[in-house]
Amino acid sequence: MTSLPLLQNALSVGAILFVLGLVGILTRRNLIVMFLSAELMLQGVSVSLVAWSRFHGDWGGQVLVIFILTVAACEAAIALVFVLQAFARTGRLDAAAWQSLRESSLSRVVDQQLPSIDTLPPVWPTLSPAGVLPQADENETLQREHV
Amino acid sequence: MNPALFSPGLLLASAVTLTALGLWLLLPRGSENRSAWWLGWLLGAVALAGFVCAGKRLGGIGEEAVFLTVSLVAIVSGTATIVSRSPVYSAIWFALSLAGVAGVLLVLGAQFLGVATIVVYAGAILVMFLFVLMLAQPSGLASYDRVSSEPLLSAVTGAVLLGLLTLSIGRLSVGPATPEPLALASAASDSPATSSHAAAIDSLVKNHVARLGGELFGRHLLAVEAAGVLLLVALIGSIAIVSRGEPDVVDHSLDLQPLTATKQSQGGRR
Repeated sequence: MTSLPLLQNALSVGAILFVLGLVGILTRRNLIVMFLSAELMLQGVSVSLVAWSRFHGDWGGQVLVIFILTVAACEAAIALVFVLQAFARTGRLDAAAWQSLRESSLSRVVDQQLPSIDTLPPVWPTLSPAGVLPQADENETLQREHV
Repeated sequence: MNPALFSPGLLLASAVTLTALGLWLLLPRGSENRSAWWLGWLLGAVALAGFVCAGKRLGGIGEEAVFLTVSLVAIVSGTATIVSRSPVYSAIWFALSLAGVAGVLLVLGAQFLGVATIVVYAGAILVMFLFVLMLAQPSGLASYDRVSSEPLLSAVTGAVLLGLLTLSIGRLSVGPATPEPLALASAASDSPATSSHAAAIDSLVKNHVARLGGELFGRHLLAVEAAGVLLLVALIGSIAIVSRGEPDVVDHSLDLQPLTATKQSQGGRR
């Protein structure tokens, strides 16, 4: 593959990852998922930087991505500590739990009434309870040689 | 067939619309509907194909099997990261997305970064996320994981941004015979033509790690020192924050229901 289509492909992938992270950080309300989305945006930027580095044939983009990795590690450490502290204060990982910090002109987030979880109940493997003798099937026991 | 029907602009527009619609269908909106879920994935797949076709029409986005595979892994699992209802599944999907990104980096010739992404992100950062989830996640699906704030507006915003980016990326080759970025680069370094360019790309691949290390600790030594200080500060800072002891006594009865009418009375305080 020549260098320009490769550059375009990689830039497209980077753009898609960045947009996915953007949508995630805008919509999701779980603080941890929001940080995962931020990391997704960083991934998109990293792919773009490496693509440009490859296209220009110099090391600048790759070196920058190494520093992105460093800053992302620091950011994750600090942010997760803050998330834990926030969870200890409110008992939930909800970003909207801190909406009293919003501008006074903005309307508050009102939780809609959620329907009860209508997903199918989990199907567990059926086991006979411990300590209870399983029902013996006479036909089967006759055909067994020995157990 | 009518060629106007398949003009790249129209294709791009419909791909943008389908992306927005698919993302909106996939994002949690309070009501779980399996058919909407599958329809969202289907629309997303069609939109992705539309983006590929539109990019091809716009400027010949080529294909290579390995690159397509790893980028598809990265994109699909990235989508699953942001639409999963359970944050644990989000984290696991994010790990798969990291694997895809590492593959893309390897295809691009950044061998060290591909491995470092796996080691640092999937090995360290993601495990940290999972630990925090274990510490903080309430059992079962929380209500705030089942709804999202402004899913339609955000999906439209993201899709439009993606369309604009695809447009500009596709335009990269439509320009003059020598692509502009290359012209800029060669003008900046006063090096002629593409033969030196190919040689430069070769030099990126040969002796990769050694040369990357030389660049990192040669030209960027000061930045490396700054990054080290940053890591140290982050380490000390996170320990200091977390070891300040238990937070003040929390009135959970107040905080656990901040979204209901009981807090309306406090509006006057602000």
